[in-house]
Amino acid sequence: MLGLWIYWYVYNYIVFEKVGDQISPQLTYDITNVVPFVIGLVLLSGLSFTTSLIFRHLSVQLRLAKLYDNFISNVTHELKSPLSSIQLYLETLNERNVSPDKQEEFIDLMTTDVNRLNNLINSILEISALEQKKLAHNYQVQDAELTIKNLLMDSAGQFRLPNDAINISGSAPCEIVTDAKAMKIVLDNLIDNAIKYSVDSVKIDVNLSCNLKRFIIEFSDRGIGIPPGELKKVFNKFHRIQHSKVPNVKGTGLGLYLTKEIIRNHGGKVSVLSEGENKGTKFTIELPVYQASKKHFINKLLKRK
Amino acid sequence: MDNNSYKEIKILLVEDEKTLAVGLEFNLVEEGYLVEWAKDGREAVSLFESDNFDMIILDIMLPYIDGFEIAKIVRKANPQMPILMLTARTSKGDMVKGLELGADDYITKPFHLKELLLRVKGMLKRKAWYQKATSNEPVYSFGRNKINFENLKCKCGNKELKLTPHEAMVLKYMINNKGKIVSRKELLEKVWHLNPDIETRTVDIFISRLRNYFEEDPSTPIYIKSVRGAGYVFEG
Repeated sequence: MLGLWIYWYVYNYIVFEKVGDQISPQLTYDITNVVPFVIGLVLLSGLSFTTSLIFRHLSVQLRLAKLYDNFISNVTHELKSPLSSIQLYLETLNERNVSPDKQEEFIDLMTTDVNRLNNLINSILEISALEQKKLAHNYQVQDAELTIKNLLMDSAGQFRLPNDAINISGSAPCEIVTDAKAMKIVLDNLIDNAIKYSVDSVKIDVNLSCNLKRFIIEFSDRGIGIPPGELKKVFNKFHRIQHSKVPNVKGTGLGLYLTKEIIRNHGGKVSVLSEGENKGTKFTIELPVYQASKKHFINKLLKRK
Repeated sequence: MDNNSYKEIKILLVEDEKTLAVGLEFNLVEEGYLVEWAKDGREAVSLFESDNFDMIILDIMLPYIDGFEIAKIVRKANPQMPILMLTARTSKGDMVKGLELGADDYITKPFHLKELLLRVKGMLKRKAWYQKATSNEPVYSFGRNKINFENLKCKCGNKELKLTPHEAMVLKYMINNKGKIVSRKELLEKVWHLNPDIETRTVDIFISRLRNYFEEDPSTPIYIKSVRGAGYVFEG
């Protein structure tokens, strides 16, 4: 558009220079020709800038709408599967003679489903709390190694992982400022992903370390890995990897988004690495060491209640 | 089926949610069926290929190979295998896609146990009816058309084509009731086992497809005629 404008202007200018006098002598004026040129230029560049902005915004909106549809369909599935299994067991127990052994098994399975529903509902609520900045609010100075170890052990118990599933190495004699509840969500999500995307039994290696400024958690699994093209996108809200080799299709696309946002709220960052298919995935979380990095930011977190 | 030749009915249950699968298996076994459980798409395909099943209960969202793909594979190998789709999605598009790919019926999660068992029973009954109805007379001819109801292959003049199981069932039902008026509702009940989500218009679509195959001039049918306000009648 801009090019067209310049062409039009220059062409007119040349024509005017050549034949202007002859056509209508009264049209000649003395104002320098630069003024209308510049005004036109500014107007047009403004116009093209706005148009491109609108188009960009529209395409982002469209992409979001598509992702959101995906999310709704995933959530529908995630809600309805446990619900239908609970309904099935209730009707079975109501209509059939079920042996005490089986009754116990069914009640166990129903409990699993109730927990699943609860987790899903929580993660949806967590998103909205996070977006209103209400999720992480109880920041405290804590021993880095101890806190993370305890949280990992908690999660392992909750996911009913065998004792040797998580192997913690390294040491981190430093302090961090964290909201333990929010940090638990982060670790739960990482463990949940490791379980979902491991073909055989889950093996997780966690290495803890700290340098002068940063406390570093390296979280590696030996699962199916992430294709290179997807690495950048895994932290996006609602994003899910569509891959025929993914052994688990369940999920909402919220977990890693939550993880990233929580770590960001802590003043840290999270990154992901995968060497490729079947070579596992490694998440690295970096958090500022208390009183050594991002002092101002961290002190503000501590004051927040 | 008399007691001497009593053969257990074998169902392939394809469902990746363990909790749901265990409950379904328990109930199907209580009903007297033999059940094999496949927990993902790959396992489903290999089980299907290695064994003879009487019907398949198929979830759509599955690891590795989804339910739609499995339905396609199954249909290609066995045109008459009854397939019941389980779906959590409620969009009409999904159901239509499932039915087009050859599922015979679908049930949306969460479902009632009794309804599911009735559907299973209905589908097996239909299959038995179809097999019985076609075993005496597997090949039927009318006009220039010759239909093999076992492998669903047809010769229409010099064209050759393959019917879908539902098309075959509709046609078979019409032929069995030759000369009698068959209402849309009756077809829905007998062929589809009445699924309230399927509109009577579905019947019309099937009839028009059959006319396209077998009538020389589909707009003035001579075999499958419409009876205004009542339904259809087959005159072959």
